[in-house]
Amino acid sequence: MLLDSCVCVCVCVSMVHTNMAEPMELLCWGGDWDLPSVHTDSLIVLAYVKFSGAKLAVKSIDWTWRTITASVPQLHYEGSTVTEPTQILNFLRKQRFNADYELTAKQGADTMAYIALLEEKLRPALMHTFWVDAENYANLTRPWFTSHSPFPLNFFVPGRQASLALSRILLTKAESPLLNITEVEGKIYSEAKECLNLLSHRLGNFHFFFGDTPTSLDAFVFGHIAPLIKAPLPSGQLQKHLNQLDNLCQFCNTILKNYFTDAPAEKRMDCSPTATHDPVDANLQKLTQLVNKESNLIEKMDDNLRSSPQHRPHRHETKPSALASERISTPP
Amino acid sequence: MSVVHVMSLSTAAAEPWPEKATLYQPLKEDQILLSDSASSLAVQTFLRMCGLPVQVSCCANAEYMSPSGKVPFIHVGNQVVSELGPIVQFIKAKGHSLSDGLDDVQRAEMKAYMELVNNMLLTAELYIQWCDDYTATEISRPRYSSPYSWPLNHILAYQKQWEVQRKMNAIGWSGKSLEQVYEDVSQCCQALSQRLGTQPYFFNKQPTELDALVFGHLFTILTTQLTNDELAEKVKSYTNLLSFCHRIEHTYFKEHDRESQSGSPQSIVDIP
Repeated sequence: MLLDSCVCVCVCVSMVHTNMAEPMELLCWGGDWDLPSVHTDSLIVLAYVKFSGAKLAVKSIDWTWRTITASVPQLHYEGSTVTEPTQILNFLRKQRFNADYELTAKQGADTMAYIALLEEKLRPALMHTFWVDAENYANLTRPWFTSHSPFPLNFFVPGRQASLALSRILLTKAESPLLNITEVEGKIYSEAKECLNLLSHRLGNFHFFFGDTPTSLDAFVFGHIAPLIKAPLPSGQLQKHLNQLDNLCQFCNTILKNYFTDAPAEKRMDCSPTATHDPVDANLQKLTQLVNKESNLIEKMDDNLRSSPQHRPHRHETKPSALASERISTPP
Repeated sequence: MSVVHVMSLSTAAAEPWPEKATLYQPLKEDQILLSDSASSLAVQTFLRMCGLPVQVSCCANAEYMSPSGKVPFIHVGNQVVSELGPIVQFIKAKGHSLSDGLDDVQRAEMKAYMELVNNMLLTAELYIQWCDDYTATEISRPRYSSPYSWPLNHILAYQKQWEVQRKMNAIGWSGKSLEQVYEDVSQCCQALSQRLGTQPYFFNKQPTELDALVFGHLFTILTTQLTNDELAEKVKSYTNLLSFCHRIEHTYFKEHDRESQSGSPQSIVDIP
């Protein structure tokens, strides 16, 4: 009898021990430039993991063959594999690691909408900045990924990512007359700047998008803008634009400081709105106007490029010298 | 948004809306597909909301006439503008806007929800039309190529299907199953339903381009016959979206048709 109960206890302990010995495992790209990872999708998942308090082992795929075989980020748990940030976040929620628990139904709907906005407007420009822009690719992205891949994959990995990025941009953003990447650039950068302005308006003076705790939307925004803020890009018009949006930079630094440094406890930030309301607003208004002017200028340029002979529009004076300083810098 | 033939602001605003503005779309009875029909209805609804008259003209080669390759497009004066986003901007340059009363945060929300509809609903419609073999064979390819004779009809239909499949591949939707796509549509409708709540329009009293876009897609899904009714069922399960569609149809299409004797060239079918 005593022996039976001892056996039962031992079995129970060993079962618990086995469950605890199989944590979830996340594969992602390694980190640099003060970031836990340089890859947007990996950053989204890492941020969400910190926000929701999930315990998992993070393994970087740098210098392994997984750089070419795995689609990252990837979550392994009890034999099953989950890829794609949205699927991984759903999976974590099912495992009761839910950072969106306190959101209302409407806020949940807003989350979906803003994530769609990020994917449609910001991601093409991000991919272009890192993978298609010749100067950035040659001086930053390719060396980094080459040095973090094992031989002989270092010859293939960056090129493959770059061609995937280019084809995605062309297929989704370049309609039939615009088969050339240079013609699409102006459009995607102006849309991305508009998206950043919209995010800045929405964030306002708060520390996170929905109140004082971060949620999955904060993870998505962080994943997209953190590499843009921190990477030492040689030619970064989008980076310059983002650096002028103080509240987004502050948002990024807050998350890095509170969740990704080895501070003893996760401190809650004091969430009273700061007293810098007016200067932030004025800056944002100015940037919104700049983006609007830029997009009008792009449309006018494209109009001149493709006006048909029989419908040649009247040529008007370009706008006054306020615009002269805001030339669009297209990469060579 | 595609790039647009828009004149500089000062010139566009100087010309009033002409009498003979025309909207071009593929043939209504035989050729037009779900996604194009939804986009076209969205633009028509937007124009009606702004009170701008437009004639709808159905042409077999509308897609090729369009400056961006997408339908619908409008021909106003000597300008040709396609797709809802650029059309909204163009009309704003002419001095008509539905979203002027919104503040910056609301405008951010409106744009985000419009992207949600484009990202989820429109992509799902394209997937169901072209990546689901049964629907593509029974409905999409025959309809798309109906104005053309052999062998052009085969070539064009397969070319279009291949293009859409490439795009689905690029954005990662080719790995999805049909059930997952229906699930995505359901989640999108749930988000829209929660955002709409009990209000008459998405931004309370006044309709905006978001209302036009959502109406265009939902109404078309509800009234188009596909190989099965699952898509329409997903939408029907949200009663506030149904009443939203009824309300807009009643306000902007039925009353307008009663006022003008000839009515619009396109007659709206009742929601079953």
